[in-house]
Amino acid sequence: MRRSDFVSLCLLVAAPVAAEDLTVVSWGGAYEAAQRHAIIDPYARQTGQTVTVAEYDGSWAALEARGAEDGWDVIDMLSDQARVACARGLLLEMTPRSLFSSETLEDFTPFGPDRCAVPQNAYARVMAFDDRAFAGVKPTRIEDFFDTDRFPGPRAIQRSPDGILEWALLAEGVPPEQVYGLLSTDRGLRLAFRKLGTIRDDIIWWEDPAEPADMLADGRAVMAAGFNGRFFDIAQRGRAPIDIVWDGRIIGIEVWAIAASTKAPDAARAFIVHATQPASMARFATQIPYGPTRVSAFNRIGINPQTGVPMRAYLPNAPQHGGRALVRDSGWYANTDKLRQRRFSKWLDWAE
Amino acid sequence: MRMLVLTGIALTAGSAASLAAIALVELVSLLNTGLLVAPKARVQWESLPWLVATTTVLVPTLGGLIVGLVHKHLSPAQRPLGPPDVIEAVQFHRPLPGLRSGLVSTGTAALSLGAGASVGQYGPMVYLGAIFGSFAHRLRLGVPNLASIAIGCGVAAAISTAFNAPIAGVLFAHEVVLRHYATRAFAPVTVASVTGYVIANVIFERPALFRIESPGITHGYEFALVAVLGLVVAMAAILFMRLLLAVGPTLARWIKWPELRTAMAGLAVGLTALALPDVLGIGTSTLRFATIDGAFGLGEVIVLICAKTVLTALCIGAGFSGGAFSPSLLIGSLIGVFFWTLASGVAGVPSSGAAIYAISGMMGFASAVIGAPLTCILIVFELTRNYDVTIAAMVAVVFSNLLSHRAFGRSLFDVQLARRGIDFSLGRDRAHFAALKVVDYLQPDAVTAAAEDAAQDVSDRLQARGWREAFVLDTDGTLVGVFTPGAQGTATRVGSDVGPARLVFHDTTDLAEAMERLRGFVGDAVPVVSQENGTYLGAVSEADLVSAWLDEGVRLRREENAAI
Repeated sequence: MRRSDFVSLCLLVAAPVAAEDLTVVSWGGAYEAAQRHAIIDPYARQTGQTVTVAEYDGSWAALEARGAEDGWDVIDMLSDQARVACARGLLLEMTPRSLFSSETLEDFTPFGPDRCAVPQNAYARVMAFDDRAFAGVKPTRIEDFFDTDRFPGPRAIQRSPDGILEWALLAEGVPPEQVYGLLSTDRGLRLAFRKLGTIRDDIIWWEDPAEPADMLADGRAVMAAGFNGRFFDIAQRGRAPIDIVWDGRIIGIEVWAIAASTKAPDAARAFIVHATQPASMARFATQIPYGPTRVSAFNRIGINPQTGVPMRAYLPNAPQHGGRALVRDSGWYANTDKLRQRRFSKWLDWAE
Repeated sequence: MRMLVLTGIALTAGSAASLAAIALVELVSLLNTGLLVAPKARVQWESLPWLVATTTVLVPTLGGLIVGLVHKHLSPAQRPLGPPDVIEAVQFHRPLPGLRSGLVSTGTAALSLGAGASVGQYGPMVYLGAIFGSFAHRLRLGVPNLASIAIGCGVAAAISTAFNAPIAGVLFAHEVVLRHYATRAFAPVTVASVTGYVIANVIFERPALFRIESPGITHGYEFALVAVLGLVVAMAAILFMRLLLAVGPTLARWIKWPELRTAMAGLAVGLTALALPDVLGIGTSTLRFATIDGAFGLGEVIVLICAKTVLTALCIGAGFSGGAFSPSLLIGSLIGVFFWTLASGVAGVPSSGAAIYAISGMMGFASAVIGAPLTCILIVFELTRNYDVTIAAMVAVVFSNLLSHRAFGRSLFDVQLARRGIDFSLGRDRAHFAALKVVDYLQPDAVTAAAEDAAQDVSDRLQARGWREAFVLDTDGTLVGVFTPGAQGTATRVGSDVGPARLVFHDTTDLAEAMERLRGFVGDAVPVVSQENGTYLGAVSEADLVSAWLDEGVRLRREENAAI
């Protein structure tokens, strides 16, 4: 822990928050277990506070419906959901400068805290393949996902426009920094759907994020678009030889935010400062392959206690991965939801 | 010492120009987002179509109105400034048009580009770079032609920053602005260009404005196709430039208020953009689409080429501040796509994809417009780092230049300058000689006489001053002829012995023309008269003209061959 961080943490913790209790809301499952182990339990031990963990579906609508009633304080959100929630006044505003030193603010990657949210970890939508399906040359680029001649077989894709449109343009040779700009035009969407159309007979749709890894494991698909954590899980538990292609990974950011209705704002802020220490982030990333959002945390990431795997290689935003990477544009996502859904349904009608 | 001065100037002008270029790009992108010109900003308001449609029409129109008003009321030059002004200042070692005009022009360029007018950003960037270089005009550091070199530095850094292409930056400054390769200029310009590159890439880590990845060329005959494409884009470029030059004067005749001209051009852009949003602004995304196979249908691409050509000519002609280079890149690449669609789609010739043709067309068109073939070839090389693509683009560029140079002129800039009386078509020397007027070399002691003067008196006066001919004037001071004592015999009055002047110069006659006409002239002086009313202004001696010619020649040789 840097000294400046330590000082700010002490100040926040020493304030009259000692007796307060805190409700942290997260997603459940292995993710939440890792969070408890790496972040929540150490915080409770250090401060003597009682921290309750609640579960929700990740949407801002759930926050609006249940936040005040259930006494939510700190919420784990996707950054685009946090952006909408912030605009709707559901989140408590904070001043990043008062929580973190300027060195710390510069340490955040790919972006720092804003008025409602502090980045906590990075996940990625990646392409994975079943190693058994390709005896010789293995897929290495996003282009290969759309190349059914060289790499024949079914592809597992989420039944939603998320992620696949970006990949379609990357496969057309569009550089990552132009992808969202081009997808904002009618022509860009047309081209993306045209590319998707070239593999339409090989698509097998999934809706539950757990499915793509299973589909690879049981041979229903040879390639899949899905979240890196799920693929890691299946591969490490020895269920299937799944390999991840990091080229074209779309990195999404999870943030911590505070409910506007909180009764314990000081404790909530103290919790967030604690949770975004490099040590906390590193502890979390050794449990589950969600990368830290602070540069200095990467040097601390070691071996997964359950599997004994060195975790750094599996983090989506690890600096050593080559290839193209795209940071999910949460503002764009938040504002183009209807348009993308509409165009996607239209395409589905045509394709099926 | 000179080395230190030049390096210091190069580093200062280079970094200032580079930072300013980055700032300009950022400002334009900010405006594009705020004013709903950028596709990414437009799509976010997609649920409110009336809002997008209203801003699409209003933003360029009001932008045009403001640009026109600002030029009219705040800029002493009353017009946008660009590369031709830079070339003129550098070539004749004059100061740039006032700083205030330059800053206003840069500001209106940011507004024009920000509001989505169909103009380019490189012209304003070049001018902005030149402004920083021109501050050296005030320095007295004992280096000849320092201001011109410093302006070259600023220009090179701006181009190098904009394209992430330091070699192209150096070449552009020499090919278009300085027009010579003296070590004294080449060294600092290179330093400035590298400075721009370092600032853009190492310090700010900015992506190139246009990144191209290309697979290379698979069939040998495609080089021939690309050569034909070069000729096609040259024809289009000539049409574009002629249109652009014609629109300005025509509009000025039709619409008296300059601010209404720009507003009208903006309105035309806005209305077209309702159906064809690709015409708005610099068109970065359209440029990208051109490199993707089949992104445009044949009909679509034809409509887009026509619309972009007409709107760009209209916007620049009407007085929006901005260059012709970025629109040229776009139009050229669309013509490349059109050509590729015909060749591969309609005629069924196997090819290596649209990207090669888009890039070749882009550079062929742009090099004809800015008259910088080497720069364009190098830009492709530095952007793609692909040898095959560069060679293809090179073929297109030379064929395009062959035709456009023959049928139009070396570049849009040169033709614009020629219309201001500065003609580079026969080279730099000729333009410099043409800038010197014979009227500046008048001999004060040339002998004049009236018709009724006594021949003997005049003859004595001539002898006293060492001249052989006197110029005979009537009472209005108009030249009547030449009196040469002893030529005709023994007349007593000058009037009866006046011969016609064999050679007469006007006050508009320049040194280049004078030297041409002096061929075969025998005599010691040539009278100079006013073109308007024939009034005698004085006489120039042949010896003075020859000296002036030699001096200017030596000065140019010195500038072009200066070591340090």
